[in-house]
Amino acid sequence: MIAFALRRLLSAIPTLLIVTLIVFAMVKLLPGDPARLILGQEATPQALNELRRSLGLDRSLPQQYFSWLTGALRLDLGTSLTDNSSVSHLIAQKLPVTLELSLFAMLISLLISLPAGILSAVRRNTWIDRLLTLLALSGISLPNFFLGILLIYLFSIRLAWIPASGYTSLLENPQRNLLLLLLPAVTLGLGSAAVLTRYLRSSLSETLTQDYVRTAHAKGLTERQVTSKHALKNALIPYLTAFGLQLGGLLGGAVITEQIFSIPGFGRLLIDAVFTRDLPVIQGVVLVSAVAVFLVSFLVDLGYAAVDPRIRYH
Amino acid sequence: MPKLKPLVLLGLSLSFAALINSASAVTVTVGLDADPPRLDPALSSALVDRQVMNQIFDKLVDLDVNLKVIPALATSWKVTNGGLLYTFKLKSGVKFTDGTVLDAAAVKYGIDRNRTLEGSVRKNELSSVKEVKVVDPQTVQIVLSQPYGPLLAVLTDRAGMIVSPTAAKKEGADFQNNPVGSGPFVFVSRVRQDNITLSANKNYWDGAPKIDKLIYRPFPDGDVRYANLLSGAVQTVTPIDPKDISKLEQNTKFSVMNYPGIGYQGVWFNVTRAPFNNKNFRQAVAATIDREAIAKSIFYGTVTPAAGPFPPGTSAASSAITVQKPNIALAKSKLGGKPLTFTLLTVPGSVTTQLAQVYQAMFAQAGITAKIEQVEFGTLLDRADKKDYDALMLGWSGRPDPDGNIYDFFVTGGSNNQAGYSNKTVDGLLAKARAQNAMSARIATYNVALSTIINDTPYTWVYFQGNQVASVKGLSGLKPIPDGILRFKDVELK
Repeated sequence: MIAFALRRLLSAIPTLLIVTLIVFAMVKLLPGDPARLILGQEATPQALNELRRSLGLDRSLPQQYFSWLTGALRLDLGTSLTDNSSVSHLIAQKLPVTLELSLFAMLISLLISLPAGILSAVRRNTWIDRLLTLLALSGISLPNFFLGILLIYLFSIRLAWIPASGYTSLLENPQRNLLLLLLPAVTLGLGSAAVLTRYLRSSLSETLTQDYVRTAHAKGLTERQVTSKHALKNALIPYLTAFGLQLGGLLGGAVITEQIFSIPGFGRLLIDAVFTRDLPVIQGVVLVSAVAVFLVSFLVDLGYAAVDPRIRYH
Repeated sequence: MPKLKPLVLLGLSLSFAALINSASAVTVTVGLDADPPRLDPALSSALVDRQVMNQIFDKLVDLDVNLKVIPALATSWKVTNGGLLYTFKLKSGVKFTDGTVLDAAAVKYGIDRNRTLEGSVRKNELSSVKEVKVVDPQTVQIVLSQPYGPLLAVLTDRAGMIVSPTAAKKEGADFQNNPVGSGPFVFVSRVRQDNITLSANKNYWDGAPKIDKLIYRPFPDGDVRYANLLSGAVQTVTPIDPKDISKLEQNTKFSVMNYPGIGYQGVWFNVTRAPFNNKNFRQAVAATIDREAIAKSIFYGTVTPAAGPFPPGTSAASSAITVQKPNIALAKSKLGGKPLTFTLLTVPGSVTTQLAQVYQAMFAQAGITAKIEQVEFGTLLDRADKKDYDALMLGWSGRPDPDGNIYDFFVTGGSNNQAGYSNKTVDGLLAKARAQNAMSARIATYNVALSTIINDTPYTWVYFQGNQVASVKGLSGLKPIPDGILRFKDVELK
């Protein structure tokens, strides 16, 4: 198992290097000039040149890439162009917020999708399966921003139970933290639950038609035993992958949801950086989300290997 | 043990007092449309920065609701030597919130910093300043190299904000994250994209503010801003989307201030290349725009159709220049049967998109085809600099002195001359106007310049922006000052 984990980690190094190159090139290919955006409509050409020089934008691209990469290895991602604070510090400030929101959302998603998916598969083509399918499809089609605004309207404006937006840290006030994160987590969790329910339904339905399941039935096991002991374990593998992908996506920034609920997380940091053309922040955020997606998929692989020992030897 | 009892009692009563205190601390939360990027008067280039900086820093002079320059740190001033020497008498006994004394030396430091700091965006506004002189602790002089009528008005904004020299020297580049001034509120903390928190300056020279805490929160989305006001998460919001105004006006829990501003919006034409190096084409496009219809249909009457760069109510507004009426026949005759196709550059956003589409439809009435291209703001400015566009939608937040609304936009090589327009006559008139002191003389000069500019049409004005502020009913004391900046010193919340 350890050898497998090490092999998997080592193979990631070239991938991550390519990611840094792509991130750097992507940001450089964006049209426009950060100095112009910082100085706005009132800039004089002389001020623009001064600023470009002090930002290092007059150096060659390989020079800029190299100094960024070596900095990143020392966890120094440069300083933000808008307010001069360190990018690593900004990310360290925002990442826990998004991490908490993502985990909360995935918990909600898990609590809904597991029972719903199993029920759907076991009671295939009955009224309950059809109802769950309908709900899941609506969940998939309903855009996040719409659901978010709907929840704000209902719970914040009509009922006035939950504040419309804001964030308080878990350490400062746990109760308020959970209250404020509830609506955004539900917004994200419902969408993800809808997708995961469909995954679980289809993989479990397929497993339930396999020979070994029939054998288990023949041995005289009850329906419940067959499903939970034999079928579910195998059906969970694709579910786990989908779960990992969803979580990775959330860590990369629940951009729209954070925007609607004014949560100072990773996604909003990125959006704001794009609008203010804060290149070091964009590069830092994209790099860290790439690493986060990699880490999640690494953990999912380990999970796989634990569930299905054959995978370790491939 | 018995010795402990009074201590415990004292502790209990103290914590009880603290509880009562914290319960009665009045907090006002303000919803803004963007996160103020730089809280440093020298480095700020965003309009929204001024909302926060106005509470932290005192300015040499300020504006009243009629855009008249009124005393602030300077109690009185004199202009002598043919407009070359400004002498300011300063209020005595003022201190910055870090304890530093605010005297003539501090004012000199602040203004010099604004005009010399590397990367300062104020250099342009203060370019005519030759020297700042300390006469005595309560008297400071600004010496100009050439007469510059707009100077006082410029000092009512960021160029006139005085920073604590002690803090500015200590913090260096980080001053924008730890700003210290002498204003009615003290900077406490900021979390980017979440909040900027200020607390009342209890020792403020003009009396302590009536609220204890002032929190700014950014909500880039108009609907989210509106929802937060309705749910009580914020007590006041600016700007509120025009579409939400009538709903709020009908709601007894809220009040709306909707008053004219000092800025304008319109369309630039790139005169340095085809198709708009042809004056007839520029005039044709300008003639298709129905400014009244735009003000009514897109902005629900919250903006005013524009005739030129000076909004009604500002000192240089003049009835000699009238709003251009749409005239499709004129547009067609200017085209002379030639086809006109061009790209209209704009930034994304629901209102700008709508506006671009309405323009497109209006142009089409004269057979003009416009393609819409959307890029983010930095790219738009960059392409404007490089003259890499046909026409683009861009306005100006406005300045209290007319010079700030016209000079840099139409003078040859001006920093805001996005069209690449150049006309020697106009250059001469704009230079003459800024050197004149009497407003009546300046208005006459501007009107002559404007008749040429409007005929040449490097830019066509479409509407004057308004300021839209919505608050809960219990909030009182906000004044409709046309620069759009809310001042919270006298605001009360019941």
